[in-house]
Amino acid sequence: MNITVKDLAFSYRNFRLHVENLSLEAAKMTAIVGPNGAGKTTLLKCISAILPVARGSLFVDGRDMASMREEERARLLAYVPQEHNTAFNYSIRDFVLMGRAAYLSLFSTPSSADVRIAEEALEYVGLRHYASEHYDQLSSGERRLVLIARAFAQKSDILVLDEPTTFLDPKHETEILDLAKKLAEEKKKTVLVTLHNLDLAVKYSDVMVFMKKGAVVACGKPDDILDEALLENVYEIKMSIIRYNGRKFIVK
Amino acid sequence: MPDSKKGLILSLFLLPVFVFLLSFLIGSFHIPAGDLLKILLSPLVPSLKQSLPEGYRSIVFDIRLPRLLLALVVGAALSVSGASLQALFKNPLVNEYILGLSSGSAFGAALSLVFFGMSFPPQISAFLFAVIAVMIVLLVAKNSNSPGLSLLLTGVIVSAFFSALLALAEFFASPYSLQSLFYWLMGNLSLAGWGQLAVSLPLMGIGILVLVLMRWRMNVLSMSDEEAKSMGVNVRREKLLVILMATLITSAATSVAGIIGWVGLIIPHLVRMMVGVDNRRVIPLSAALGAGFLLLADDLARSLASFEVPVGIFTSIIGIPFFIVLLKNSKKVWL
Repeated sequence: MNITVKDLAFSYRNFRLHVENLSLEAAKMTAIVGPNGAGKTTLLKCISAILPVARGSLFVDGRDMASMREEERARLLAYVPQEHNTAFNYSIRDFVLMGRAAYLSLFSTPSSADVRIAEEALEYVGLRHYASEHYDQLSSGERRLVLIARAFAQKSDILVLDEPTTFLDPKHETEILDLAKKLAEEKKKTVLVTLHNLDLAVKYSDVMVFMKKGAVVACGKPDDILDEALLENVYEIKMSIIRYNGRKFIVK
Repeated sequence: MPDSKKGLILSLFLLPVFVFLLSFLIGSFHIPAGDLLKILLSPLVPSLKQSLPEGYRSIVFDIRLPRLLLALVVGAALSVSGASLQALFKNPLVNEYILGLSSGSAFGAALSLVFFGMSFPPQISAFLFAVIAVMIVLLVAKNSNSPGLSLLLTGVIVSAFFSALLALAEFFASPYSLQSLFYWLMGNLSLAGWGQLAVSLPLMGIGILVLVLMRWRMNVLSMSDEEAKSMGVNVRREKLLVILMATLITSAATSVAGIIGWVGLIIPHLVRMMVGVDNRRVIPLSAALGAGFLLLADDLARSLASFEVPVGIFTSIIGIPFFIVLLKNSKKVWL
């Protein structure tokens, strides 16, 4: 499913996000990058309809997201938060099962089919054997995987991940982004991530979106749009780009 | 599910049934177990009525039965609402007392009692003021940097405010109604007759039913609001429904039995220690354990001494040390 953003605006205290035009293609992986405070997470939360958006500013396959009900939206789009805190230490199976909420009415409990979907989601992220463990026993890398599994159990075509690699070591960084890429290629999901690591963004994304001060500065294939002038404009420091093995690398 | 857990769950569900049957034997007037059995069966087998001593049936059906039923339902209702509020606020220390529901209900019911007398149902005014109290707490605690702490603090302040209003209502009460007000406020299951129960039991029943039906949804609602929203939950609407049910339960319970504190805190916590945090189990089992616990506490309250100790005093004496231990041992920072 493709996402179209038209004149999307959101203000918070003295910060203003305004995106005039942005299209994200189906079954592609898009990375949003930019300095701290550029509005990456805000844009992500607007697209996920966690923050309120006005009618006529956000469309999924031509349908206005702002006029959909919560469960309708959640069947189209799943959001993976950066971290999860809860006072209650659920088992991993019960935790992933919550991804089925959009398919269950207020008064119903998950069926065995829902449990199977949750277990398949755990299998897909490689944590099937952890199903009976509890959330606080997992490492932070495993917790990210569980959060992705919960979103996967939501069976939406769009997957939005908020800085999925922060605080992770290189091995787990790779593991998470490999999984996100696999979801785009194998499961044909439209994947949207925010990333701080530019090299990882270049390596994994089909499309890069550069943001600065609440606006989109550039958007396109990393190979087409990434140059030193753009980096200096966005990050306000000088960086060099070198080519190695046919890929661009950024040297600070 | 391991078999040991299955046995535990089954015995938790059977507990209130056993306590209920045994509790018929307790009371200032001794009725032998054999006669008791006949009395309980007499509505089904009319011929049993003739062999029973005069007055036995009335003691069992008009005095003991309403009291036992009230204890069961109030215990279940307060525990279910406690478990639900804890999930909703993502904080195992929240209960109806902390949210101002108890003192709001108590003031409302007292107001009704003082100005309209016994014949007017106090549940309406109790509900109204419980809604006002919880709304003040929620509005003041909203948008705070540390929601847990401000919720507890605001709750304390609002409770104190309604306690002051309650004292004012007592000041205007006649000496006769003051005495019944006094016994009722301490948490007492002996004052309600069938007339009062006819209003309160169905209200609590509705609250229990809705919250038990929502048991799995409560897991999702215990996630952060952002997460719950992104998983397809209308967080505002569903939160409001849970708070409304908790308010209904607390005002209906307080109207007939006064303030019975801390049951809603202890019981869900004990259940979580036994079966884990999944609300599909926690909420129904809290109902069962809460029902059994309050009935047992009331049995003790009326049989330990030659006079009756109000059961609310009893549950507070057990509950507050429990709360302190919980606060001390909590690994997580909830505030």
